[in-house]
Amino acid sequence: MSWLTPRIGAQLVDLGSAMLLLTCFAIVAQRRLSACVDLFALQSAFLAMTATLVAFLTGTRHIYIAAALTVVVKSVVIPHVLRRVIERLNVTRELVMNVNVPASLLICGALVMTAFIITQPIISFGHLLTRNSLAIALAIVLIGFFTMIARQKAVTQLIAFLVMENGLFLGATAATYGMPLIVELGVFFDVLIAALIAGIYTNRLQDAFDSVDTSRLSELKE
Amino acid sequence: MTTIAVAVLLCAPFTAGCWSLLIRSSQQLHLVNLGSMGLLVAAEILLARTVLTQGSVMVFDEMVYIDALSSVILFIIGTVGLACSLYMRSYMDEQVARGTIAPHRLNLFFFLFHMFLLAMVLATVANSLGVQWVAIEATTLATTFLIAFWRRRESLEAGWKYLILCSVGISLALFGVVLMYYSSLRVLGDVNSALNITQLQAIATQLDPHILKLAFVFLFVGYGTKVGLVPMHSWLPDAYTEAPAPVAAMLAGVLETVAVYAILRSRGIVDQAVSPEFSGSLLALFGLVSFAIAALFLLLQHNYKRLLAYSSIEHMGLAMVGFGVGGPIGVFGGLFHLVNHAFAKSLAFFAAGNIHRRYKTVEIGEVQGLASVLPGSALALMVAGLALAALPPFALFASEMQIVTALGTSGFPGGWGAQGVGGSVLLLLLCGLVAFAGFLYRITGMVWGPAPQTVVQGEPWSAGHLSLLFLSLLLAGLGWVLPPPLHQLLETASTLLVGR
Repeated sequence: MSWLTPRIGAQLVDLGSAMLLLTCFAIVAQRRLSACVDLFALQSAFLAMTATLVAFLTGTRHIYIAAALTVVVKSVVIPHVLRRVIERLNVTRELVMNVNVPASLLICGALVMTAFIITQPIISFGHLLTRNSLAIALAIVLIGFFTMIARQKAVTQLIAFLVMENGLFLGATAATYGMPLIVELGVFFDVLIAALIAGIYTNRLQDAFDSVDTSRLSELKE
Repeated sequence: MTTIAVAVLLCAPFTAGCWSLLIRSSQQLHLVNLGSMGLLVAAEILLARTVLTQGSVMVFDEMVYIDALSSVILFIIGTVGLACSLYMRSYMDEQVARGTIAPHRLNLFFFLFHMFLLAMVLATVANSLGVQWVAIEATTLATTFLIAFWRRRESLEAGWKYLILCSVGISLALFGVVLMYYSSLRVLGDVNSALNITQLQAIATQLDPHILKLAFVFLFVGYGTKVGLVPMHSWLPDAYTEAPAPVAAMLAGVLETVAVYAILRSRGIVDQAVSPEFSGSLLALFGLVSFAIAALFLLLQHNYKRLLAYSSIEHMGLAMVGFGVGGPIGVFGGLFHLVNHAFAKSLAFFAAGNIHRRYKTVEIGEVQGLASVLPGSALALMVAGLALAALPPFALFASEMQIVTALGTSGFPGGWGAQGVGGSVLLLLLCGLVAFAGFLYRITGMVWGPAPQTVVQGEPWSAGHLSLLFLSLLLAGLGWVLPPPLHQLLETASTLLVGR
């Protein structure tokens, strides 16, 4: 593939990272829970594609494994679990928002800028190929963090956590062409277990509180 | 020999955990638990001896690294773990007898408990910062169900908060790990060892200070959530209140310490590339704020378990001040404080567990006359309470004084001038006094006074009292003499941290 020069490669990686960021905004703007899950699956697919691209361009084999795991775990298994949870709980819409959608989008825009400012001094050390991805990765982590605070349904919070995790994975791929495989596998294992636990938990919350609205969790007070 | 000891350290909790799933009788569950804990302690003693005589241990293809600092943490895990196992014998059996836990769920409890232990041991001995992160996140996963083990609404709420807040916090720490890796890879170029603590320490001066600063902020906030520093502490009082007493004791005594250890490990690397004042001021500032806020919240508590939870935040804040100020006295004081706090806090939670079982309430106002109802537990609570209030015969007094002395002599890191030093010492002492008064007032109120008519009096001897006795003696003893091996271990560990 002689047309795939490093410059075009770098632009493709940038494009992939940008798509990830775009899906983040879409998740923040979305009220329907099932659409949030679909968007998360899509985002994970973009992540896997970007990672594969980096693996191909740099010849770093072990990223392929991580990319394949991303597709299996984050695009298929976890969304499947989440869809079943939503089906069982019979909640379809995120109704409780601490911050409404337009304000959320504005804040997320500000977070993206903050991420670029924070990473500015260290970006120049990065590889040419993935230079901008580190800033985008941090932006995704921050948006995930914000979504966690801004939304109240347990399912949405879980998706926000997984979005943060996607941002971290993009960061690891972008900054260093992937972490050592043992760490990468460990992180995947943890994420999978966390998602499963949260899945079980939402069921228990539903049984105990007749709701997965975490604002109802207010029995414990000072 | 050391290889075998390390293997035992990791295999004992793992095997015991899996084995527990297969056992039906509670008698056998306790035996397996005590046996594995005994092996763990034996392996730790052996390793600590090796570390003291021959220096740090590195085995399994450099995957495991144990130096004096990790040995101190292992010592805490082992001692509190053993006390906890003894305590669980009577505590868990009574819960089953009362029907709070279905008998078939007992082995799930032990499985999770052992996995929790395994994750903490792994976090302490891992050489790779990445593996350390994975292990600390694994502690969150193992303990979520332990906290919510009673399955009441409140416990579910506490468990969910804990899972979400800690996972999110820890995710930020992972970003810090990625940045560490980013900086070291540029120097080392070797993919597999670039996250190893030993490698990072060797090349720390060549690492880029900008990246390390950013990395440390993320690591500190992430692991700080797990330590329960203000303002990332909101999960902590809920989790400690709702968790079964032995779990709360392990969370407060050991897990917090392990999270502090993770911060100290990264700090050891960052400080060589960036001026120690950067990380020092971050630690001291968050420590001071946590100490002050927790002291105020101590005054407001009506629930004795929450009282103990806020006291944890307070003591962790104080230890952080010690580490932040640094210098030989500050760091030694901080480490010694971690050890003392682990023993005092687990003892306090064991006593609280006994009180809760008898009085069936967590309201301080409804608990009176402990001295006649549960004399043994009342004594244990008094010992733990006096120790936690840092009264002189107990070792926490010594470590607190060391930290205050360090702050008074070296001043607040980053240099706020003489006024700043005086001000911070004064603030520390003032908040300490508030905490002291509030804490002791509540506890003495519980111990004395007339016992309610409805509560059965008398306390039959059980295996659980052995651990109360053991920890009380340990706390009292450490105030008089610091055994030479422990002293040497703490000394070596603090020289490691003070560095240059």
